[in-house]
Amino acid sequence: MNYSEFSLPLLHNAVDIMTPVLLAATGGLFTELTGVLNIALEGLMLIGAFFCIVFAIATGNLFLGILLGVTVSILVASLMGVITFKLKANIFITGLATNLFASGFTVFFSSQVFGTKGVLRFAGQPLLPRLDHGFLGSIPVFGEVFTGHNFFVYLSWILIFLAVFLIYRTPFGLRLRATGKNPEVICALGLKPMHYRFYGILISGFTCGLGGGFLSLRLNAFVPEITAGRGWIALVAIYLGNKTPVGILGAAFILGIAESISIYIQGIINIPADFVLAFPYIMTVIALIVYSIFKYYHSPENNKGEG
Amino acid sequence: MSYLRMESITKIYEKKGLLALDDVSLEVKENEFHAIIGENAAGKSTLMKILYGLEKPQAGRIFFKNREIKNYTPMDASRLGIGMVHQHFKLVPDFSIAENVVLGAEPVKGGIFFDKKKAIEEVQQCIDHYGFHLHAGDKVKHLTVGQMQQVEILKILYRKVDLLILDEPAVLLPEQEVHTFFSRLKELQEKEGKTLIFITHKLREIMQIASRITVMRKGKAIAVLDAKTTNEEELTKLMVGTPFLFYLKKEKIDPANVILELKDICLYDRTRKYCLLDNVSIKVHEGEIAGVTGLSGNGLAELEDVVAGIRPPTSGQILYNNTLLKKFDIAELRQGRLAYVPADRIKRGSSTRSSIHSNLIISRRHTFSSFGVFNMEHIDRFVTSLIKEYSITGHKNSPVATLSGGNIQKVILARELSVNPNFIIFCEPTWGLDVASSRFIYEEILKLRKKMVAILLISSDMDEIMNLCDSIVVLYRGKKVFAQKNSREITKTMIGEYMLGLKDDFNSENNQETKDSLP
Repeated sequence: MNYSEFSLPLLHNAVDIMTPVLLAATGGLFTELTGVLNIALEGLMLIGAFFCIVFAIATGNLFLGILLGVTVSILVASLMGVITFKLKANIFITGLATNLFASGFTVFFSSQVFGTKGVLRFAGQPLLPRLDHGFLGSIPVFGEVFTGHNFFVYLSWILIFLAVFLIYRTPFGLRLRATGKNPEVICALGLKPMHYRFYGILISGFTCGLGGGFLSLRLNAFVPEITAGRGWIALVAIYLGNKTPVGILGAAFILGIAESISIYIQGIINIPADFVLAFPYIMTVIALIVYSIFKYYHSPENNKGEG
Repeated sequence: MSYLRMESITKIYEKKGLLALDDVSLEVKENEFHAIIGENAAGKSTLMKILYGLEKPQAGRIFFKNREIKNYTPMDASRLGIGMVHQHFKLVPDFSIAENVVLGAEPVKGGIFFDKKKAIEEVQQCIDHYGFHLHAGDKVKHLTVGQMQQVEILKILYRKVDLLILDEPAVLLPEQEVHTFFSRLKELQEKEGKTLIFITHKLREIMQIASRITVMRKGKAIAVLDAKTTNEEELTKLMVGTPFLFYLKKEKIDPANVILELKDICLYDRTRKYCLLDNVSIKVHEGEIAGVTGLSGNGLAELEDVVAGIRPPTSGQILYNNTLLKKFDIAELRQGRLAYVPADRIKRGSSTRSSIHSNLIISRRHTFSSFGVFNMEHIDRFVTSLIKEYSITGHKNSPVATLSGGNIQKVILARELSVNPNFIIFCEPTWGLDVASSRFIYEEILKLRKKMVAILLISSDMDEIMNLCDSIVVLYRGKKVFAQKNSREITKTMIGEYMLGLKDDFNSENNQETKDSLP
């Protein structure tokens, strides 16, 4: 049996699947680094998914659609930021509210404007172009796995690259990380930790909007709850990736492979479909357990306690 | 015109209803080493925070280099040339020394990028220039406490300030590093021409290096002295003031059984770098008020945590009613009639958003319910009688946050005493309270003593300790330096000397007799 016939499309698919998780996790990382657990990634993605496709149809232009859709998700994120940091609400409650608002509002809006609470499908909408890379595509293995994706995939890689720079190579990133590690340091300098936390939320609004846009535009339709927990998986990816951009890339890829495998297995082995669909989530749980065990044995404090 | 002049600074913390600074003026000359000393809560730190722009005063003016400065942030202050080292480290352990130092004033290349290489270079230059022995690229978490202190000072030196404010920077330093640290500061003044304002409790060291000393007490600047012409005794007297007598009627009671005994309690901080409590042993008898005092940062807060069961000690034993407590279960102890009036009455002592009503019944809620349902009539009777008994001004349904400090303390006291304790811990019971409220609390404490309750009073208020306690323990750097029965011979100045670490009964071997004759 030729393994590459089976494994290369599987990897190609994994690269595709990991993209929305990677995008959401990249933005989530910025809030995480400021010491804020942003549970609203899921809701922000859903807002992005809905408005990207709606605006793409309305304007007839893919680029404008994404731009406006992402703007809406940034606006929702900033609203959440204002309520949390200016009005001093609990971030967990505002995050939860954002998630509930997103799932309720998208369905409500779609029933009011498009007259359906179910799947939104549009005829004649612009398609997401796939990028072929000419000669790059002809490189064995590499070409088959990493080329021929739509532009969101490559954008997510660029964003991870930018995140590395922003976090580790700018004064902004330094202060952002200091905010998470010890906000008192920032206060003592006369800066406001709140500002950096707010920027973190805005950035997560931006990337979650993109992640959501990828989901609906790739499908050419909006399905209620189209995100299907990817915002939560992104949160897991942040922790699995040890809160570093490169780690997140790896974590998202592993989770992508898990989902990709579950799709392939459906066609090959006769096992209950429910189990197959649950496979990525089971993998997530296992990955988290393995991660925390690993963390436990490698943290200096535990070693000290035993020694 | 002088270099720095703070004129009639008044600061009121409205939320706490506290007058922190009352018309305080301070003058500092250029290239001077100016020390500020005073007891806890004298307003030293507040005054310095105002100078650094962290706090805004209600009244007063500040002149710096012949120019009035107002409405400025710490960022502006460092641009003006004022830098501050805080009492507690403001460092990010995971960052390198260079990153910690440049944070907030990062060197930039290409307009947006943080120039890490330049940061390390510049910080290393700064380190070498001032003769520190550090590598700019090292992570702060691997440093010793003394080195972390150097990083804090580098932070302001890097910003090229000429006025350095240091708020008790030597508190955390191991004793053997204190001297080096002070001579380094002296060098900054002499060789670099910097001006230093220094808050400290270390009288002996400060006498040698400071030019002038301002003494603060209870929110007022009471004296400015020339370091050359004054002495330790005079300073201690000025700091503690004349004793304030309450004329409380204190009956003679012969202490009976030991209720609580701490044996060789040690407590290390989380990083295990420094010792917060060092072999502290204390006994509390029935019908006795045992007092523990010291300056802030010397282990009082930690002792509170250990005795109340909030932080387990690193080593040592706690005996309660002669039984050894292995695992300190607070709920169990509370059932065993332990009462606790914490120093932090807002965060630990009460739930400020809940009503007086709820706060009063919280610790004995089980006694008011049958089959899991509250007997509201019973509770109402109980609450109303407590409000009357302790003359708490406020409706039973109003949140505790709306009450004054004195009334909050009365609510806590009412709740804690309603369980009929046989052992009670009081921590800073009258901190920030007015005279009438304080008096009320003192009378309650004495009533408890009469009922043969064992009382542990942890307080930095010397008057309180001297007037109430039957025995006095002084902690200095987490170590017991003084332990005697209270008597007329014990004076405030004497206690003050122990608090400041000028004397230690337990240090040298020739003091063995004192140790053996402990109560």
